[in-house]
Amino acid sequence: MNVKAPILLLCATAILASCAKRETPVEIGNREQILHRGIGTEPKNLDPQTTSGMPEFYIQSAVFEGLTAQQPGDSRPVPGTAERWDISPDGTVYTFYIRPDAKWSNGDPVTAGDFVFSYRRALSPALSNPYAYMLYCLKNGEAFSKGDITDFSEVGVKALDEKTLQITLNAPTPYFLRLLKHHSWFPVHPPTILKFGKIDDRDTKWTRAGNLVGNGPFTLTSWEPNRKVVVEKSQTYWDRDTVRLKEIHFYPIDDMHAEEYAFRTGQLHITGETPMERIKHYQENNPDVLKLEPLLGTYYYEINTQRPPFDDVRVRRALALALDREKIVNYVLKAGQPAAYHFTPPDTAGYTAQARIAFNVEEARKLLAEAGFPNGEGFPKIELLYNTHKGHMRIAEVVQQIWKENLNIDISLLNMEWKTYLTQKKSHKYSIARAAWIGDYEDPSTFLEMFITGGGNNDAAWSNPLYDQLLAKAGREMDKTKRFSYFQQAEKILMDEVPIIPIYFYRNKSLVHPAVKNWEPSLMDRHPYKYVYLEADE
Amino acid sequence: MSRKNETIQKSSLWEDSWKQLRKNRAAIAGLIILIILIIASAAAPLLTPYSFEQQDLALGASPPSASHWLGTDVLGRDLFTRLLYGGRTSFLVGICATVVSLLIGVPYGAISGYVGGRTDSIMMRIVDILYTMPFTILVIILMVVFGRNILLMFAAIGAIQWLVMARIIRGQVLALRKQAFVEAAVAIGASHRRIIFKHIIPNVLGIIIVYTTLTIPRVMLMETFLSFLGLGIQPPMSSWGLLIRDGASVMESYPWLLISPAIVFSLTLFSMNFLGDGLRDALDPRFSKGKS
Repeated sequence: MNVKAPILLLCATAILASCAKRETPVEIGNREQILHRGIGTEPKNLDPQTTSGMPEFYIQSAVFEGLTAQQPGDSRPVPGTAERWDISPDGTVYTFYIRPDAKWSNGDPVTAGDFVFSYRRALSPALSNPYAYMLYCLKNGEAFSKGDITDFSEVGVKALDEKTLQITLNAPTPYFLRLLKHHSWFPVHPPTILKFGKIDDRDTKWTRAGNLVGNGPFTLTSWEPNRKVVVEKSQTYWDRDTVRLKEIHFYPIDDMHAEEYAFRTGQLHITGETPMERIKHYQENNPDVLKLEPLLGTYYYEINTQRPPFDDVRVRRALALALDREKIVNYVLKAGQPAAYHFTPPDTAGYTAQARIAFNVEEARKLLAEAGFPNGEGFPKIELLYNTHKGHMRIAEVVQQIWKENLNIDISLLNMEWKTYLTQKKSHKYSIARAAWIGDYEDPSTFLEMFITGGGNNDAAWSNPLYDQLLAKAGREMDKTKRFSYFQQAEKILMDEVPIIPIYFYRNKSLVHPAVKNWEPSLMDRHPYKYVYLEADE
Repeated sequence: MSRKNETIQKSSLWEDSWKQLRKNRAAIAGLIILIILIIASAAAPLLTPYSFEQQDLALGASPPSASHWLGTDVLGRDLFTRLLYGGRTSFLVGICATVVSLLIGVPYGAISGYVGGRTDSIMMRIVDILYTMPFTILVIILMVVFGRNILLMFAAIGAIQWLVMARIIRGQVLALRKQAFVEAAVAIGASHRRIIFKHIIPNVLGIIIVYTTLTIPRVMLMETFLSFLGLGIQPPMSSWGLLIRDGASVMESYPWLLISPAIVFSLTLFSMNFLGDGLRDALDPRFSKGKS
């Protein structure tokens, strides 16, 4: 008996303890200031100069800091690693003064030379940085990137002294300070890069945990592939007193249903996506956590303008006019996405297009008849290409039905996995393809420049000399009103000729735990972590 | 098989088998269910007022009701209708691809096992080599070379499935080859072809049938995967595999979209297995002769 009693007691306690509700990671995080964020896909790399995805950016923006930064809920650029700057009267020469106390995570001071090194690396042809074009506004930046010149001193980046950086641009670029918030402009630590390879070596070990040296508010602690990436508060960051989070854990969860489940069971504070089917549930039961916020992006269908019958503008217009976008946003998407009747999202840095492509079935039928297909007769069987994804499939099925009803034309659907889909599009082996564009910076040019003749993303193979001219003019113009009027005219042409059919403007659909503070809506999905903190409501 | 006068033995084999099968209630129930499902799929347009692609977006996903017996999916399409039409795809793919695998796999395995020796080694090494080829890559190559085509899908699935079939048959034949009745046939002077097709294959029929009933459901699911890669059927067509996959992803919000396709699919699978079981017992020559 004497021996058994304590054992029984022990068992009873163990059973009781296991019955008691265990504290979830989110609850622990709220107490300890540890943020758990779902980022969707496993990051390919953390090198800001070889990556292009958002999952990577979510981590990079914690570990690095550009010359400019932003505040929560306000996209205007504020001083980041640079404490101030001067702009020459003609708007082409910027002089940045780097903070004296800006330090790398190993204690080295951040110097102007580091930025020169970083921009040289970003533009190196051998690095094949997908975002090299973001730096083409630098004088001779494009020539260096394409290998036309090899002497980097000809490029418009110069270290005047240890803490002063001078940048010379091709043309006044009114959105230049906003551009600097993009990860392709983040500095990298030269000694670390050179320790693990040459300046233009891709995928070296410098981004591994333990190797990586950054200048941001957090430093990389660990990276377990396909499980999580952990960053912790940096002890050398110049503004470390503002940083309130102790750690951020990033979880790559591909499947959005699994991510939503993780959120529901207290594993995550923030998710990247919310499944369409769950949106209604959250709207009805828990509207506070569902954040449906405008995102600077457009979902559209791209038309191969080289392939008959789409070389005829009347056919393209007919398809665009016959598309009932309200049906799609109201019944399929259901997350408050606005239907798109023009290409550039509304209020992009103060610009909203006036041009519209209406919903007008009468007009569409008339145009189709004029083009030689009265009531859809004789219209060739065309294919609608999309990358394999349930959301794209549903929209395609609805569009297929709408065109069948309104124009009496049959289209078949064709899905391909992502890489094949991209190749088909790039090589113009398609008729109509689903596409989307998320702006790289807050300016209409990030959208409208896609469709200049021969543009790298102009998969519609569309060309209009007047359009090209207008965008060239806008690129040289300093005056905002005039610039925007060029954009207005350009967008009018785009909507008259419809090489693309805009469908809807994106919404960010994330779930955010109420304890997360200073997490404000952001058009570019940028949330500066240094202001974020956790405070559970009692 | 109805040429009764040819040999007494053969006709009685089939008749005996049928008698045997009729005694097996589970097998008969399976057979009846399968026949009902196949007829319902084939006669889909007569059984439902809706079309499989007709959307009612304003209705959206609705639970089962009087007008939509099994409810509607997220685009407001009648699930009952899509299930019937999906059955067409699934049965067609399941049966055709399995037939392809039988036509190649059975003779291949039988010849390999019967001839033996070096021929056997070479033929089996070819199977091994083909077996190591990743299915996904094979499918993508086929898709790039021949374009998208439902016939190609049968070929692709059949081309993979026959390998397993060939191995199983070969193993069986290897064992049978040494048995007295084969040696007797050889002694009489029967041709190789006759021995293989009249003596050996009937003896492995049981295995073939059981394996076939396992192959058909597997092929039906494989079609889903191929559709995902863009090779199989394309929306708005449906198949059971696709309906189950779609249903599973929304199961928490709209459970009825998963339940009925899953029930129908499981029912098919069970029916096939029971029928296969029954057929194996009924067709096994050793078995039936002992009893009748």
